[in-house]
Amino acid sequence: MKRLVLFFFFVSNVTIAQTFLTESGNVNFLSKAPLSEFNGVSYKLYGLIDLSNNLLDFYVDLNTVETGIGLRDKHMRDNYLETEKYPFAEFTGQMSSIPTLNPGSETSVRAIGKFKIHGVEKEIEVKGTLTKNLKGELELDAVFEVLLSDFNIPLPKLVFYELAENQSVTIKATLKSKKL
Amino acid sequence: MNRILLLILFLMIPFSLFAQLERKLVNENQPVELIFHAPRHINLLTVEPLDKKSLHFAIMHTFGPLDGGIENLFGLDNGANIQFSFEFALSDKLSIAASRTSQDKLYNVFGRYHVFQQTQNGSKLFSLSLAGGAGVNSSNYKFLPEPAPTFSERMSYFGQVMLARKFSPKISIQVTPMMAYFTDIRPVYQIEGTENLYLALGFSGKFKVTDRSSLSLQYIPNLNTDLRDNFGIGWDIEAGGHVFQMYFVTSQALNEQYLLAGGNGTIGDGFRLGFNVNRIFATGQKRK
Repeated sequence: MKRLVLFFFFVSNVTIAQTFLTESGNVNFLSKAPLSEFNGVSYKLYGLIDLSNNLLDFYVDLNTVETGIGLRDKHMRDNYLETEKYPFAEFTGQMSSIPTLNPGSETSVRAIGKFKIHGVEKEIEVKGTLTKNLKGELELDAVFEVLLSDFNIPLPKLVFYELAENQSVTIKATLKSKKL
Repeated sequence: MNRILLLILFLMIPFSLFAQLERKLVNENQPVELIFHAPRHINLLTVEPLDKKSLHFAIMHTFGPLDGGIENLFGLDNGANIQFSFEFALSDKLSIAASRTSQDKLYNVFGRYHVFQQTQNGSKLFSLSLAGGAGVNSSNYKFLPEPAPTFSERMSYFGQVMLARKFSPKISIQVTPMMAYFTDIRPVYQIEGTENLYLALGFSGKFKVTDRSSLSLQYIPNLNTDLRDNFGIGWDIEAGGHVFQMYFVTSQALNEQYLLAGGNGTIGDGFRLGFNVNRIFATGQKRK
């Protein structure tokens, strides 16, 4: 009996060693309109990279995105993103192939999957880099573009800030190997 | 038995990892925001909080009665009552404010405190805020044959509790039990009331018509005097950092004490045009 338990413990650990998690990734939405440029930032990106099963899963609670002006944040939540109804921006997908990661060196990866925001889901492709650092953690950097009209998010009119139709999303996260 | 449980537990772990992450909110008790467009709604204060270190500046006007017709451009020719109000948020919950109203040249200082906010998950069904303050009438009464009122005889105070709920994305209602106290009542003061203490119940309603504009209502029945009730109906427009509020109201009063003691015209005939401009400055906040 004890051996059996130990055996399963071992098996689970092998699987687990290929799974990386974070709860404090960094997402940056850059809105670059001709007259005003601002960032929406959250440090609460939750993410999972499972290298053995080739699964990527990321989400961020949009209530945590801040632009530096409280009233603009409230308008963003209430009028545009409608966070009460659709609180999350999510990405679930997989990499075009499972990369072989050598500690300390950067590897380009391509992910294909479903991005969902404001209740609308769309297939997207994201290019980024994965680095296994010396502590055995995975460092992820990725940039992709989101067209607000694809997700039924209206552009504000008559306001003191200008919102760009094309939002550049930058993701930076360090994922730790899942341990028991 | 324990071992079997342990075994099942270990068996489950590798399989559960095939699944996606569970989606969970960072703050489960996310507050309901923008119950009203601004910290003012027609004449009354609302539960709408200010972010720490932001400054709310309101310019409010009410003009003469409409019944003068086109000859007085529907009251615009008659001197306006104007109030300048500055409210600064010391924290996300507490703000302090100072205002000055033309009527009796009243200087008011007040504070607003948000006890709790309505939450999206329903753990709080409404928002509760408190406000209170003191004002001094600074008019020059040298022309009077009798001695001018002393400083303490010029003082007036107010206190109120604000309970508000956003019933749906379109409809918000606030109930405001209010009181005002005047240390002295003189005919020369621009109020109709003859009591020292005034009790009233304020009702504020917002009905969102488009994404950025709303129909607004105000009704303040007096509870302990024979003064007519205050009634107002208006239109709020949110334009980014500004909230414009245009309304018809039965009283020229703009601050709490005078709203309760000032007296009211009749609905329709005694209506006046009013206009507020609200601006929130995000001072001290870091642009990102």
